[in-house]
Amino acid sequence: MISSKIAIKLEGVSTVYEGERRPAIRDINLTVEKNELVYVLGPNASGKTTLLETINGLLPIFHGKISVFGLDITTQGRRARCEIGYVPQDFMVEPGEPYTAFDVVMMGRYSKIGVLNKPDKRDHEQVAETMKLLEIENLARRPMGKLSGGQQQKVMIARALAKEPKILLFDEPFSNLDPESRENIPLLINTFHKEKEMTTLIVTHDLQGMLENCGRVVVINNGRVMVNDTPDKALEQWRSLS
Amino acid sequence: MIWLELGIMQRALIACVLTGFLTGLMGVFVVRMRLTAIGYSMSHGAFAGASLGVAISANPLVTAMLFASTTALFIGPIADKARLHADTITSIIFPLNMALAFIFLTLTPEIGLTSQVANVLWGSIISLTNTDMVYLVTLCAATMAIVHFAWKELFAIMFNRKQAEADGINAKPFIYLVIFLAGVVVTFSLKLVGGLLIYALLFNPAASALQLLEDMRKIIILSPLIGVTTNIVGLIVSLFLDLPVGSCIVLVSTVTFAILVLLSPKKRRKMENETLEVNH
Ligand SMILES: Nc1ncnc2c1ncn2[C@@H]1O[C@H](COP(=O)(O)OP(=O)(O)O)[C@@H](O)[C@H]1O
Ligand SMILES: [Mg+2]
Repeated sequence: MISSKIAIKLEGVSTVYEGERRPAIRDINLTVEKNELVYVLGPNASGKTTLLETINGLLPIFHGKISVFGLDITTQGRRARCEIGYVPQDFMVEPGEPYTAFDVVMMGRYSKIGVLNKPDKRDHEQVAETMKLLEIENLARRPMGKLSGGQQQKVMIARALAKEPKILLFDEPFSNLDPESRENIPLLINTFHKEKEMTTLIVTHDLQGMLENCGRVVVINNGRVMVNDTPDKALEQWRSLS
Repeated sequence: MIWLELGIMQRALIACVLTGFLTGLMGVFVVRMRLTAIGYSMSHGAFAGASLGVAISANPLVTAMLFASTTALFIGPIADKARLHADTITSIIFPLNMALAFIFLTLTPEIGLTSQVANVLWGSIISLTNTDMVYLVTLCAATMAIVHFAWKELFAIMFNRKQAEADGINAKPFIYLVIFLAGVVVTFSLKLVGGLLIYALLFNPAASALQLLEDMRKIIILSPLIGVTTNIVGLIVSLFLDLPVGSCIVLVSTVTFAILVLLSPKKRRKMENETLEVNH
């Protein structure tokens, strides 16, 4: 079956924010195959965040159709989201919020654990292991709000990875990281993508931390897909654009 | 100090413990899920409903419940759709419910502040019956069971609703569950403190616990404890000074909150942490 090879499919998708007239993204046609790693580039306000939140159904589609592993996002969105790990852009928690870093990472597993069930030993191990991979295991008991921006970003990445989803959506996941982590964490994501066969979409507006086994680059500008090609060719076109 | 019949005293004490526990518990969810506008409006909806019950000689519990849920059913979707600010909602709904309540109260057969009207306004321990005790015990058991089984989802939604939804949790039913439970708890607590003050029972213990602690698992235990304690202290004060019990409870819980804000261990601990980090 050909559809089983497709992870994400967007057909003529436009998203209009409530109270706006102009669509933030328009007429997007995009197919991501299972196990692909795709970079999404674009200047500020080009619609990258909107694209990700439209894919996981957090924003209602104005026009078009999206399916995630064959699930229609408008009618079966919740089921699809159980298979998607989403790292939002600039997610920051106020100091004094009563949740530890460990709590936040564990939340990623809640939909897997299921309603009425409690996290078991394996869930705890998975969370501890993921936090260790991101080198934040020593922060587990600290309140989330008392961590630095970079540390919180790692917690959110750990939350998405600990979920063991089929699809990862990252929205500028390296923006607040220190230089060392900026090198390490892309490699870690690389490993997850390869070993756990996670289809991965990474949004960024710069080219730092570009992954070697990135199969494809999508460039969007003004809410439209401008380029959708192999990294080499895409970057060439991207440079000539900017 | 006034001395009342032993039965009345026992029921008053039990009611203080159970309503303090229930409002303290639900208050945490109401505050952390940013449902205070709905909680506030619903509380005064229950007040208007109870007033109607007194006026038409129906069971005030039933009418209070109807009004509270109607208020919640209207406000929830309207607030969602129209993106109304919480302040706007409460500013519109509070006077509306008050106006209705006062009209219903003046419609009461023996106009004026009859004891029944007074009960609805600021509560009365004398009116508590054994049936009320049964209701409160049942409600306590049901609420604890629901919170236990839905804890994980409630916890994630309290942290961040959007992120919980992104992770595949269906937030809406849980939020409506909290609104519904809060409405029931408010209704069954009306007899103790009355409709004008009931909201304080929902808000004050939770706000106090959140001021004091930084771990949600401890907050969810401390807030009901604060609710129980302030209720009992308020009851004792009201008996000693012969003042309305609802007012005394609210005064005690406000003082508790004020003391906790002034002591503000949260801020102190934050400073300690920062100095620790600097020293490292
Ligand atoms: N909540 C919103 N309401 C209205 N317009 C929005 C909202 N969020 C984003 N936009 C607009 O949509 C466009 C795309 O935004 P976004 O997807 O956040 O861009 P990017 O992530 O590429 O910086 C921008 O013009 C922005 O102003
Ligand atoms: Mg963005």
